[in-house]
Amino acid sequence: MFIHKPKTHIILTLVLSFMLQTGGILAGPVTDQVGRTLIVPENPTRVIALAPSITEVIYSLGQEKRLVGATQYSTHPPEAEALPRIGSYIRLDIEKIVALKPDLCLATKDGNPKHIVDKIVSLGIPVYVINPRNLQQIMDTITRLGTLLHAERAAVELVADMEERIEQVQALVKKARNKPRVFFQIDAEPLFSAGNNTFIHELIELAGGINIAAGEDSYPRYSWEDILVLQPEIVLISSMAGGLSPEYLIKSWKRWNQLSAVNNDQVYVVDAELFDRPTPRLLDGLELVAAIIHPELFEKNIKRTEN
Amino acid sequence: MSLILDMANISLNFHDKSILSNISLGVSAGEFFVIIGPNGAGKTSLLKILSGLQKAQQGSVTVKGKNITKYTRRNLSQILAIVPQHIEVGFPFTVADTVIMGRSPHLGILGMEGKEDFHIAEEAMNFTEVAHLADRKLFQLSGGELQRVIIARAICQQPEIILLDEPTTALDPSHQLKIMDLMERFRRQHSTTIIMVSHDLNLASMYGDRLMLLKEGRVVKTGDPKTVLNKSLLEESYGCQMMVDESPLGQVARVTPIPHKYQHI
Amino acid sequence: MPIGKKIIFTTLLLSIVLLLSSIIAMSAGSSGTHFWETLSILTGNSDPGSVTATIIWQIRLPRVILAAFVGGTLALGGLVFQALLRNPLAEPYILGISGGSAIGAILAMLIGLSYFPGVAIFSFAGSLLVLAFVTTLASTTLGNTMLGKDSLLLGGVMMNAFCAAVIMFLISMTRSFQVQHILYWLMGDLATIQKGQLSILFLLFPCFIIIFVLSRPMNLLLLGKETAAAMGINVKKIVLLLLVITSLMVSIIVSLSGLVGFVGLVIPHIFRLVLGPDHRILVPSCLLGGASYLILCDLLARILPSSGELPVGIITALIGAPLFIILLLRHRT
Repeated sequence: MFIHKPKTHIILTLVLSFMLQTGGILAGPVTDQVGRTLIVPENPTRVIALAPSITEVIYSLGQEKRLVGATQYSTHPPEAEALPRIGSYIRLDIEKIVALKPDLCLATKDGNPKHIVDKIVSLGIPVYVINPRNLQQIMDTITRLGTLLHAERAAVELVADMEERIEQVQALVKKARNKPRVFFQIDAEPLFSAGNNTFIHELIELAGGINIAAGEDSYPRYSWEDILVLQPEIVLISSMAGGLSPEYLIKSWKRWNQLSAVNNDQVYVVDAELFDRPTPRLLDGLELVAAIIHPELFEKNIKRTEN
Repeated sequence: MSLILDMANISLNFHDKSILSNISLGVSAGEFFVIIGPNGAGKTSLLKILSGLQKAQQGSVTVKGKNITKYTRRNLSQILAIVPQHIEVGFPFTVADTVIMGRSPHLGILGMEGKEDFHIAEEAMNFTEVAHLADRKLFQLSGGELQRVIIARAICQQPEIILLDEPTTALDPSHQLKIMDLMERFRRQHSTTIIMVSHDLNLASMYGDRLMLLKEGRVVKTGDPKTVLNKSLLEESYGCQMMVDESPLGQVARVTPIPHKYQHI
Repeated sequence: MPIGKKIIFTTLLLSIVLLLSSIIAMSAGSSGTHFWETLSILTGNSDPGSVTATIIWQIRLPRVILAAFVGGTLALGGLVFQALLRNPLAEPYILGISGGSAIGAILAMLIGLSYFPGVAIFSFAGSLLVLAFVTTLASTTLGNTMLGKDSLLLGGVMMNAFCAAVIMFLISMTRSFQVQHILYWLMGDLATIQKGQLSILFLLFPCFIIIFVLSRPMNLLLLGKETAAAMGINVKKIVLLLLVITSLMVSIIVSLSGLVGFVGLVIPHIFRLVLGPDHRILVPSCLLGGASYLILCDLLARILPSSGELPVGIITALIGAPLFIILLLRHRT
């Protein structure tokens, strides 16, 4: 029902515009992704991102002007490197955070130390916690952050784009005639892979492969003996595995002639950032894996040793 | 004369081995009592029992009429002082620090030493002639000096009984005499009872009022020096040939162990 | 100078040093150095709502308090163990506290418990278990009922070695990001400070008082069990009391800060060198001196790196180890 009384209309408009322009007004209580209820500012202008993935998403939403601080490894996009640093996401520097006078902090449940988050809250600074565990939840996170930062339309577009890309991959994968066995190495010396409840697992399955490391243990450990028995057809190695060079990592696989993956030249090093950060770039990772697993279906041109 | 220390039928075992059997001993106040005997006779264990540091399986020890087990450590240490054979010099205490520790039994729990205590410690150091070493660290002293410092500490306890475990064993003759004369003088001035374990039979003879000869945990003989320092008793206990005669210095027995090359027959 | 006056003088002097160290530590941190501003905030002459005031009162002050208690307790613990074991190389973790508490803490971290109270409780429990084992072992060997120092020492060293092996095993089973948490705990780290911890710290005051009251008996203990007994000390009771109190307080501190090293070993030696071996002076000195020392080390840990901060244990090791070597060399000559 529209209010046709002009006077009230004018008053409402004045009040609303007044509220929208002064950033200090708090919006009502919101619930974050871990179920906490908190009061956030109506228009946050001094936001600190407590994880590199959060920084990425904010840039993707075009809201980087609201950011006043980010964690040490917030390196994507490159412009983020100019942001003041507030420690690393597992060792946050509370002094630096407080000194920046934030009006909103965005934290992630996976990695941020709880006692520091609690401390920030106790100092009167609202902290919105996200916890995306799979692609669906990442899209939910983007929507939520879009609402928080007044970028609803950008969020909707971003999510739609992600959904479209996922659908495209799924459609192509349906046509695949086989499901190769894939081993994704995330750490070296000793070998670790990714099991259930990880992005890597989800991506491999979506891309039409079988994750050899599937199982309850999210980060199972393997010896070379196990590998020889498991006989992966495709090997993907995270570029951050063990902090070692790609050449070294591939060499450690090339030793085993008994592996079909080695003989068929199916050992690849891939960019870690495309696989461990809950951001839209996971879809780059998805498309990369799909192209590797089903080259016959995807046109992407991939190099053998690097992404 | 009253017995200041009375030991009745003491037996001590250690892992089924008998260290002391059925020892009885009564020491009068002001006596200079010396315990002698071969190695392994149990002299040190006997001293430990006398000082309350070791409990015997059988028998009792009475100090000033009261059973030793009924004393608190603090009260006992106000009556009885010990001069051990060896002391650890691990930490850098000075002579003055060490001597004044002897006042512990008389101080309260936080125990700040007062003027009186410093005075007593000073007197003790003068008495034992270590006052000039007051600021030296213990590890800088010679054997004889160290021994005198420990005696000064014992004196500070103002004890009625002083127990000494082989105080002269590692010292040269002049230091040996110095220590013994100190004890003798202290005893005369304060009527203190001195109980000493010694290897030196002649010093025992010259200074002791009464001796006790111990062998394999048993008393061989208790009595005045002339009686205990008997040739056959000594030879049997120590297992070597001895010559016992009267010292040219006076009416004291003189004991000379006889080396093989001087043995006739 | 009579001992009473010496104690008062030293205590006053070191208290001033502690106060100064605290102020300096509160005026610097990762967000900058604000010495004069700090002074005016502390004396109430500045806006209590300002950001700097928040940083100083809410972030730096609790940290300084924790550092003070950790440093003081560890220095005092080292002093007491050196007296109990009559061994100048003794340090507060020597009876197995480091091994036991580390295993407890690592297990708690592996099952995902938070630093407080989860990891703290496990660490405390682990420490007590190992201590109980070591003391039982020591009191039953050779029928020795007086807790012979050699058996204690031996048992403690053995248990620490065994625990070290278990710790290595546990670490080999963990993922790399967890390893960093574990390593920081093992090195000693005050960054995990939380509100609840501070109330526990006040439990330590009775421990400090009891130990001070037992300073003179500790002097006598240095002379050997039998001599001490002969001078009126109930050795068994005093040794047991000191052992229990000191182990408790060190275990509490370790459960809050991890294994900060070199404080308990070096601080008592320094003060013994300067003030002599009388524990009536050494107890308050080590307490106050150790507190100041760790406050300053933690300050360095916070401001030295250009980004982030070091675990304080690294600073105490980097300073303490060379310091200890210098002390050793001096002692020889």
